[in-house]
Amino acid sequence: MNGRFLLMLGLLCLGLGSAATDPQAVLRAIVDNQRGGSVRATLTLSVTRPDRQTQFVLEVVSDGNERAITWVKAPPREAGQAFLRVGDNLQLYNPTLKRVLRLPPSGRSDSFLGSDLSYSDLAGRDLEQDFTASVGAETEGSITLELTPRPQAPTPYGKLVLQASKPGFVPREVLYYDQRGQAVRKITFAQFAQVGGRSFPTQTTVEDLLRPGHRTSVVYSNYRFGLAIPESCFTVRALEAGC
Amino acid sequence: MQQKGSGMVALPRLAWRNLWRHRRRTLLLVLVVAYATITTILFWGVQDGFTQSVQLGNARFLSAPALITTPQYFEDPDPEQGLPSLDFLPQVQAQPGVNAAAPRLEFPALIRSAYTADAARARGVDPVLEARVSNLPAAIATGRMLEKPGEVVLGHQLAERLDVRLGERVVLDTSALAGPQALGLQVVGLVKSGIAPVDRGTVLVHLQDARVLTGLQTATGVALDVARGQETRIAEALQPVLPQNIRAYDLTQLLGGLSSAIGTKQSSVFLIGMIFSLFAALAVTSTVLVSVLERTREFGMMGALGMTPPRLAAMVTLETVLATSIGWGVGLGVGYALNHWMATQNVLGPIFASYGAAWEILGTGGEIYTAQSPLYALYAALTIVLAALFSILIPARRVLLLNPAEAMRTD
Repeated sequence: MNGRFLLMLGLLCLGLGSAATDPQAVLRAIVDNQRGGSVRATLTLSVTRPDRQTQFVLEVVSDGNERAITWVKAPPREAGQAFLRVGDNLQLYNPTLKRVLRLPPSGRSDSFLGSDLSYSDLAGRDLEQDFTASVGAETEGSITLELTPRPQAPTPYGKLVLQASKPGFVPREVLYYDQRGQAVRKITFAQFAQVGGRSFPTQTTVEDLLRPGHRTSVVYSNYRFGLAIPESCFTVRALEAGC
Repeated sequence: MQQKGSGMVALPRLAWRNLWRHRRRTLLLVLVVAYATITTILFWGVQDGFTQSVQLGNARFLSAPALITTPQYFEDPDPEQGLPSLDFLPQVQAQPGVNAAAPRLEFPALIRSAYTADAARARGVDPVLEARVSNLPAAIATGRMLEKPGEVVLGHQLAERLDVRLGERVVLDTSALAGPQALGLQVVGLVKSGIAPVDRGTVLVHLQDARVLTGLQTATGVALDVARGQETRIAEALQPVLPQNIRAYDLTQLLGGLSSAIGTKQSSVFLIGMIFSLFAALAVTSTVLVSVLERTREFGMMGALGMTPPRLAAMVTLETVLATSIGWGVGLGVGYALNHWMATQNVLGPIFASYGAAWEILGTGGEIYTAQSPLYALYAALTIVLAALFSILIPARRVLLLNPAEAMRTD
């Protein structure tokens, strides 16, 4: 009886231990924090280049998952443009043409408004879908995940190294490596807002490590989380009319 | 009347006998004409053969010797205009002259590495069948051909531009029937053909991956390997076995711009050929003229014996026609034999290869054969006709103006 009890206790401990460091579950928790659930917010996008700096003001509505709509409010030259992402479909509203254009699927990973940011960095759960996570290092206060691309996943990177702080698996930094082990891109997260038990980074900085001086930062303001977002927000009509 | 009639018979006999009286001179004339005929045949054989080799080489890299597709896809190469079914494939494969048939699915795509992205036209292929209709698999300089889904073969210049190496991953994005789709593929081979559009633009993927990416479950076309020089005939012969709204196109239709460029070049080559014939005819004429000059005394004697200058001139022209005809016949025999040898054996390939990369860029590959056509005999005959005309104009005219008394005194 005692032997059976000890065996069951051992298995239970092993199970708990595995759950604590289940890398895929940790990755899900990190992405949950990164996305923060449904949100309506104002974004200030600052694009820094060696010779200039450009600032955009954007309005964003997202369901926290695969759907997001973004309107450009400033500068005046770019104002009126809008982007809708529903899963893999990306559409752009061009106010000059007064037309909605379908962007190629590559738009998901292409430079967003000439910045170092891709649309995937702003919305979606590509990290979970395209990568397999393993624990690289773990301490009491932090965890490092190594993300390797799944077979035929649409990513050109060799691996990603994701750092998060504990408890709560709050995202701190993502390093993108090419397939030769060289770090090519870095995203850092800061200024966290507590939203329904999640730590949402309100400041994101993206650095192009291959081109010094190329940097983009995104700062969230006027954010309201956990809102019920109407379905009409994620339609082509909303690109022009808003919601 | 009777005398005139017997003269008409006697003149050719006299001309024929004269040929064999001056054997060395006749032999020289025959050799000159035979040489001109041989070079004319080889000139056109090599010229046409080289053009065909360029067309075929390019077809085997960029398209195919013949391709079955829909007219809609031919006009607007979008996977949505692809083949509705591949049920006709067994009938096509059974068609005489068709050596192999390989389904292909081509689509526009964006190819991405960790550093940059580029637009490309990807070709989904059956790795085994593709090698039978295309030169691309044989031009893989590094790595290997596709073996299974999840792999990609790139042109080496495209790989350099993307900064990807063998074994690394690229992403292929496209949007067709299946909506926006993307796949990560491992680079397993790099093509180095020497043809700029091939080395810059080749993206070969497995047919299965192409079907996943585009959502088209058939193919955009069926590439055919057919006997060299038979492309047009077989494309036409296939039409009755193909379903309605599906057509077979030969390589001249498939290569479009390249074919019209070659057509323009052909007209200038024809002019060069004519100039070549003219010079060959002048060479023959000069040989005849020397012969006439050497025989001035003989012609004076014949004039003194009662042969009128017009008949003398006719005899000289006839001698020229007879000798050049013999030379033409000999030239045709030797010329066509040599041309046939070079049309069936890759004699020219290694010769052109020795000139290095300058020829590679034309896409001929390592094999260049001469073309064969009965027209070359006509082109060579033009030399004979011109030679006869010049003989009338220059040596015969000289004979016509001959004074027998003065001619007999000539040394």
